[in-house]
Amino acid sequence: MTDPTDFEKRTQEVLEEGAARLDGRTRSRLTQARHAALAQLEQPVRQWWRKYVPAGAAAAGAVLAVVMWSSPGDRPVASPVEDMDLLADSDAPDFVDDGEDLEFYEWAAGEVET
Amino acid sequence: MTTSRALDQFLSSVEKRAFKIAQFGLRNEDDALDAVQDAMMKLVQSYAARPAGEWRPLFYRILANCIRDVQRRRTVRGRIMAWLPLRDGDDDEEFDAIAQAPSHDAGPAKRLELDEAIGVLETAVAELPPRQQQAFLLRNFEGLDVNETASAMGCSEGSVKTHYFRALENLRAKLGEVF
Repeated sequence: MTDPTDFEKRTQEVLEEGAARLDGRTRSRLTQARHAALAQLEQPVRQWWRKYVPAGAAAAGAVLAVVMWSSPGDRPVASPVEDMDLLADSDAPDFVDDGEDLEFYEWAAGEVET
Repeated sequence: MTTSRALDQFLSSVEKRAFKIAQFGLRNEDDALDAVQDAMMKLVQSYAARPAGEWRPLFYRILANCIRDVQRRRTVRGRIMAWLPLRDGDDDEEFDAIAQAPSHDAGPAKRLELDEAIGVLETAVAELPPRQQQAFLLRNFEGLDVNETASAMGCSEGSVKTHYFRALENLRAKLGEVF
């Protein structure tokens, strides 16, 4: 980078003097502008969503989520005890009599699995 | 040093020159103050987390955009206002002798010399074509290097050098007798 010429030094000096002569009102407004800009750093990030979601709506959403979660439509998987009850039912048909259809049932079970 | 403190120091170091640069571009004190405030807000909003070394060219790039936005709004407003018969011509230059009175002490002779030099130079800079004015103020006044100036102006380093060279030539032609 080349050294500045005398002309460049002179113009820089004059411009700096012009900036140094700003009146009190302008300096005060610049200070206020700076403080207003820096105040943005004080705003917590976690509250950004509060501008868009009223508190009541947020609470209603939470209640709805709990209700949906505990809906009777979402039954847990049947326990093994219930399976045993079904198998032990005396009215349940006897699927295996003298073994004649055993091969068929084995084949059917294989078809179901695939 | 916290980011807030570092930003405070940075903005404090550039605010006066930024105001003068905006004033050259807009020729109106209130518009210049608005542009500087907008630029400060946007820098802190969007670039506070960037390395401090990047703030200067970023800030002046944002300021240039803010100045351009004001100029465009003026163009639109001027077209609309042209249809209103009752409005007088705008006098954008509000001069208050007391408010504008400088507050520095200097010897009378030196002061007079500087007064004249400031007036002549600022008039000449204000008359430069926008890109020459921008390149000159960023390089000479703010002290950005060619790379930083190119970043702030959104152009190549070659363009910066050309604009700056032409600005100097223009100013020399106008100010040769005074400077």
